[in-house]
Amino acid sequence: MQTTLTNGIAEGQLTNAAKLANVSKDQFRMSNGIRVIDYQPTSRHAAPSNRYYLWLILPAVIVLACITLYPFFWLIWMSFHKVDMMRGDIWNNFANWRRLLGDRSFGNGWYLLLKYSAMCMIMEVGLGVLLAVILNRSKYEKALVTLFLMPMMMAPVVAGLVWYYLYNSTFGWYHWLMQSAGILGEKSILGDTGTAMWGIVIVDVWQWTPLIILITLAGMKRVPRDQLEASMVDGAGDWRNFFQITLPNLYPFLLIAILLRFMDNFRFIDALLVLTGGGPANSTKILPTYLFDVSFQFFKLGRGAAIALTLLLVTIILGMILVKVFESPAGKVNQEGN
Amino acid sequence: MFYIPKDAIYKKVSRRDFLKMGGGAATALGAGSIALGLSSVINRRPVYAQSSDAAKWKQYEGSKLVFMSENTPPSFAIRDNLKTFYDLTGIEVEILTDDLPVVQQKVGIDLRGGNSDFHLNYIQDKPIGSPFADYYEDLNKYTGDNTLPQDPEGYGEDVWFENFQKACGVFYEAGRIVAFPYDCAVACSFYRQDLFEKLSKDFESEHGYRMEFTADTTWKHVYEYAAFFKKVREGGNSDIPYGYAQHQGSFAWTTQLDIQRMLFSHGRWTEFDVDDTLGSKDPGKTKWGDAQSVAVMTKFKEQADVSHPDNLANGTLELNTVYQAGQIAMQVQYHEFAASCEDEKTSRAAGGKTGYAPCPKGESSWIVGGGQAVNGTNCGIGGIGINGNATEDQKRAAYIFAIWATSKNIQYDVLRGLGGTPTRKSVLEIPEVKTARNRPTNMPNALTFDAVYDHGIRDPHFVLGPKIPEVNEYHKILATEVQRCVAGELSPEEACEAIREQTDEANGYF
Repeated sequence: MQTTLTNGIAEGQLTNAAKLANVSKDQFRMSNGIRVIDYQPTSRHAAPSNRYYLWLILPAVIVLACITLYPFFWLIWMSFHKVDMMRGDIWNNFANWRRLLGDRSFGNGWYLLLKYSAMCMIMEVGLGVLLAVILNRSKYEKALVTLFLMPMMMAPVVAGLVWYYLYNSTFGWYHWLMQSAGILGEKSILGDTGTAMWGIVIVDVWQWTPLIILITLAGMKRVPRDQLEASMVDGAGDWRNFFQITLPNLYPFLLIAILLRFMDNFRFIDALLVLTGGGPANSTKILPTYLFDVSFQFFKLGRGAAIALTLLLVTIILGMILVKVFESPAGKVNQEGN
Repeated sequence: MFYIPKDAIYKKVSRRDFLKMGGGAATALGAGSIALGLSSVINRRPVYAQSSDAAKWKQYEGSKLVFMSENTPPSFAIRDNLKTFYDLTGIEVEILTDDLPVVQQKVGIDLRGGNSDFHLNYIQDKPIGSPFADYYEDLNKYTGDNTLPQDPEGYGEDVWFENFQKACGVFYEAGRIVAFPYDCAVACSFYRQDLFEKLSKDFESEHGYRMEFTADTTWKHVYEYAAFFKKVREGGNSDIPYGYAQHQGSFAWTTQLDIQRMLFSHGRWTEFDVDDTLGSKDPGKTKWGDAQSVAVMTKFKEQADVSHPDNLANGTLELNTVYQAGQIAMQVQYHEFAASCEDEKTSRAAGGKTGYAPCPKGESSWIVGGGQAVNGTNCGIGGIGINGNATEDQKRAAYIFAIWATSKNIQYDVLRGLGGTPTRKSVLEIPEVKTARNRPTNMPNALTFDAVYDHGIRDPHFVLGPKIPEVNEYHKILATEVQRCVAGELSPEEACEAIREQTDEANGYF
């Protein structure tokens, strides 16, 4: 039910005042410059208070604190100790942190991680947007999107295993195909220090480009038709429409996609362990793989904690930078436009 | 305080009943979690155990144990045989298997965390035994216990093959036994007799000696065979495979073993000045970077250059696949793989085409500082050990399984079944096994026994490798730098120096 109220004056007061002035309510309102505000009551109950919501989320906050804050502070503690779960932790004078400074594998891990992330991001965003544009115009869009999404549904370890066999130089179909086409020699992609990184990037692109397609398609559905129509009336062609109308409107969506993929890449390890284990000759040993080795192969949990903290810190900083970009005027174009 | 919906559930059910329902559900979930997490059950009948030998085996009837093992044929064969054990003891054993690095990681967390989710562990000598030896139970405590069943052959060093008990059962401290040998993979040469015969004349006319494999075949010969095969292949004969291939895949431990064979065969070179069969928690600085190590690294790189081109991707399993696919004519491989190579359904090297010989011998002229040229033979000896965190009864029940799994008859069954590799000498005395050492055979692994048990594992050829607490880090360092050398990123000198520097740092010598 909709009622009409005036600002600062109750409905009953307006009626009484109009009666006293011997005019209708509307005449009284207009002559006195009283604005009408539409008000939609939602419930016969009072609106829940903030305290209500606080109580509601409190159990979740407690659980989250237990499973995130406690390990987080423990991680910091571990990074300053030589960790022995049975015999107690021993303070080791920042040895875990000092060791990182001269650790070549640590530096190499960072370099390879950034290289890997950049390669994946550029290829996935480029290919994802291109395919989304094509799919958006296709009459088989729904069927094709379902088909494209299939790799994404696969567990990364399974995807790693599938590609491991495809790349195999003895019986791998993909290796055979590329060799027959004269692209590859007798070395497999994963067996050469020059191509192994490409091998894992291809798997990532194959598995996660569909996510970019999905997000981009969602963004394309929200491009204002009036802007496109106005542009067409002004005589703009498809290319100009895409670069001047569609792409700026996709900007915030792409930033979300990049943020998600960037965080995923920084903790990527499962498929990589299956594919190369960081080899050959450390050419694919990105930082998370090195972290795994230090923590669970060498059982240097203190040093592993120090590496993990640097990874966490850099992820947070880069994430914040991306969020800032998202909040910039350019990033807000479409948020406010819609 | 809260908004109460008009049709709240507890208005239909009383508030007390509602809380009861929640409590019941929570209890059920908790009990379920405990049942899943701590699935072992131990029941003991100590008085009954004294009554007879059969009763000793049955004293833990109704109990349940978990055994974490590597995914090797003996584990699968034992799993297939578990009903026999259950009938004998009434103990249910769950065998979990995985790749060795995963087993190492899981048992490491279990042991170091003070848990005993896995009562029995597969103790591969270096990757698992060296870093976690202190967390296992000393089996001497049970070997003389007359309230437990015992193996009639006993457990002294003489009942196992040479060096086996020391390799997987003794770490840092003589006399303390943490594992009984259960599974072994010993390196030997696999070669295509048919191809060697086919090309031998051409090779002889070029090099002046026959192309054949014996205990006197050296690494220099292997290099020349491989180079010859490569030359024939590159001359346009695509039917001829590559001669040789290395173990350079992502499994760091086998890369280490691969170059270790060549190092040891030249003057019995080892990484540290310590007794490898005992190991040391303080091994001192490494010898990597000395003239002998650089000389061997140089030869190893030359060997790689004439080998299968996908060397850096071929780990042990992949290498065996390459051999079975007919892409190489030789491999130094672990003798447990003979069963798969002799399988005519999957292997082009089957049907009498493969010959077996000891690992190649050192080339005297490659020994820099003097010393003996030997057939450097290394191995992975897997023992079965008991988690030191388990309760006393769990340990006793686990001991019953350990002696059963390493007994003569079970090892024979495993050899006949999925192709196991015995660790007890007495298995080789069984008449059927003696017969099986020659073709035709129904136990293909027995074809390797001359090369392995009669020659390779015996001193002075046997090399174990360093038992040090940081062994897994050492394996990674070594594998990485050797791969970088093979890939041409580092010279042999630089690779040896990089190994030296990082190994010393890992062992605390900055």
